[in-house]
Amino acid sequence: MFRYNFKYELKSLLRSRWLLLLSLILLVVVLFAGYNGKEKVSERIQELEKVVLEANDKDAAMVKVLDSLERGLQVSVSPRMMPNMPMNVAYNYPRVAAIPAEPLTFIATGQSDLFTHFIKPSAYGDSFTLDYSELANPIQLLFGSFDLSFVIIYILPLIIIAFSYNILSEEKEYGSLKLLASQPISIYQWILQKTALRFFWLTLITLVVITITLLLFGFDFSANFFQFFQLLSLVFAYILFWFTIVLLVNLVVNNSAKNAVSLLAIWVFVILIIPAVVGQLANSFYPIPSRTKMITEVRELKEELSSKQDKILDNFLRDHPEYASKEGNGNYSFWHKYIASQELVEEELKPLINSYEDQLTKQQDWVRLWQYSSPAILMQQSFNNLAHTSTSHYQSYRNQVALFSKEWRNFFKPLLYGNKNFTSNDYQKIPSFTYEPPTNSSILLKVVVLLIFSVIFIFIGKQVFVKKIKKGTIIS
Amino acid sequence: MIKTSNLTKKYGDFTALNNLNIEIKEGEILCLLGANGAGKSTTINLLLNFITPTSGTAYINGLDVVKNPKKTKPYLTYIPENLMLYPTLTAIENLDYFLGIGGKSFSKTELKDFLEEAGLQQEAFDKRVQFFSKGMRQKVGIALAIAKGAKVLLLDEPTSGLDPKSSNEFGELLKRMKQAKVAILMATHDIFRAKEIGTHIGIMKQGVLMHHFSNDEITLQDLEKVYLETMTLNNEAI
Repeated sequence: MFRYNFKYELKSLLRSRWLLLLSLILLVVVLFAGYNGKEKVSERIQELEKVVLEANDKDAAMVKVLDSLERGLQVSVSPRMMPNMPMNVAYNYPRVAAIPAEPLTFIATGQSDLFTHFIKPSAYGDSFTLDYSELANPIQLLFGSFDLSFVIIYILPLIIIAFSYNILSEEKEYGSLKLLASQPISIYQWILQKTALRFFWLTLITLVVITITLLLFGFDFSANFFQFFQLLSLVFAYILFWFTIVLLVNLVVNNSAKNAVSLLAIWVFVILIIPAVVGQLANSFYPIPSRTKMITEVRELKEELSSKQDKILDNFLRDHPEYASKEGNGNYSFWHKYIASQELVEEELKPLINSYEDQLTKQQDWVRLWQYSSPAILMQQSFNNLAHTSTSHYQSYRNQVALFSKEWRNFFKPLLYGNKNFTSNDYQKIPSFTYEPPTNSSILLKVVVLLIFSVIFIFIGKQVFVKKIKKGTIIS
Repeated sequence: MIKTSNLTKKYGDFTALNNLNIEIKEGEILCLLGANGAGKSTTINLLLNFITPTSGTAYINGLDVVKNPKKTKPYLTYIPENLMLYPTLTAIENLDYFLGIGGKSFSKTELKDFLEEAGLQQEAFDKRVQFFSKGMRQKVGIALAIAKGAKVLLLDEPTSGLDPKSSNEFGELLKRMKQAKVAILMATHDIFRAKEIGTHIGIMKQGVLMHHFSNDEITLQDLEKVYLETMTLNNEAI
């Protein structure tokens, strides 16, 4: 039976131009989404390259000046920029702490349009631990980006529905089902094969189109084969999930108009309503503290502390006698007082910042818990993980930047309090930032979950079929 | 070839078929007459195992259709009122498909021979059936029966909607099938056609086989009279 189903299903699809139309629609939509994503990533890479280049140029100039100073030459540099003063370097020559674009970043915008992908943490100010917002197009934020993940998660199920919503009901309504059922075949096997063949063609077209898109946008398959495999596995499992839903609806409802309405209702529920409810509940149960309120509180605290800076410096020097001026109550500058107050500021701000981070973590845990309630959440999480644009990636980046800024300050502390000059030798030891991506939750596990859902739907479908065959409502 | 024993189908309180006992042997044609809802199509659906009987048994070639659906179906061909084939496939492709999924494979020449034997014009063999008339589609159905070597033909109002010429051609085809020792059960509203081709004629009303005649024992006029009398009978009289 399979050989004949395969041969004539393909002939019918080709003659009705369905396959051609489908391939064209998918190619256009996926290419456009890929182009969109790639444009954003290119913009991001260019911006980052520009910033790194500027920083490198600045460093090169600084090294030159340092060299001149060390050789006792006169230099014409403003005192505020003089690189032999450690805090001038700490303030004026920050490192670029960036979250780099990964090979698959262009497939899912994720959180990348909400958060910046580089920052230059200097010795002054701690707002870098919080201030990550960039100006983003509010319309785009409202509707999401038209990237590959959007096409696969939102549009592909609609194509599957349009392609197969009446796979069985059409035969019944048209009248060919009775002729089929009068042949010595199992109608369940027949419908299963027909659905499997449509699944096969659509999956093949989709995977080929995705591969072409990756190829066109310079994806290195050999270097990133596992990510490529994960991406294709996810898409395969997601298409299978929707085909089994379509099969189930065909068996349960078995009326073309009602099938279409039911499938669209399922699409709305699974793709729009469940993720919205899960997100809304996350916000209700674990609300993120107001950012404005937090910034106001930070400013108030800083003001309060700045009025007590002399006392804070005294306490700091008592705690860190190694930093005390050997010449007694020497000339302590703004930087001495400022750096001394930072430990206290950090200490005082910790609960406030932690409350923000805690709620964010709780929200993520909540979404992680409920991700299995909708394949849309599951897929979005997986795509964001593959693209390194997930909330956990940006949270990890923020934490790494906070740690690095501390490391940056601490590097200059002994030089500042020891009244030492910054030298070329120190420049060699200057800390640099390297982003370490968090360990990803297994994407293949999510693929397995989608496959399990599909098997369950096929099993339910079989039960429904047996029941309906007994009632005689499948064929007649 | 076809036999039913106290075959009954009920939908809740409604009895669609009540204790039907018929037997159609090789080379016999039983034409079942009756108004809509008389139980003619229900009988055919039960023989095809599309629905399961509430009680009683239906046999094809001596096999219980409920217990042996896959064993009985190779022996039979079913032609509904509107034989719907796949519109984007040609006559030959449709024939190949329906035979192929049932496990029978033929060469293109053989398939053409079957279609020719069923009376389809040669120029239609490679045409998509979306352009076929109802009569042409019925001929593809007959070709299917010939190719399958069917011993049983189940026809559900096959001539309704056919023009007189096509209807006559179809009648002739059935006569040839009869000569080939095929057992045929035909549900129809056409008394004239039933008398012309049937070896036996049954009249059904509300799920009950009210009369069963051999073609020789009744004239067309008497058949028409009995049919009309049966149709005007009170429900209580059944």
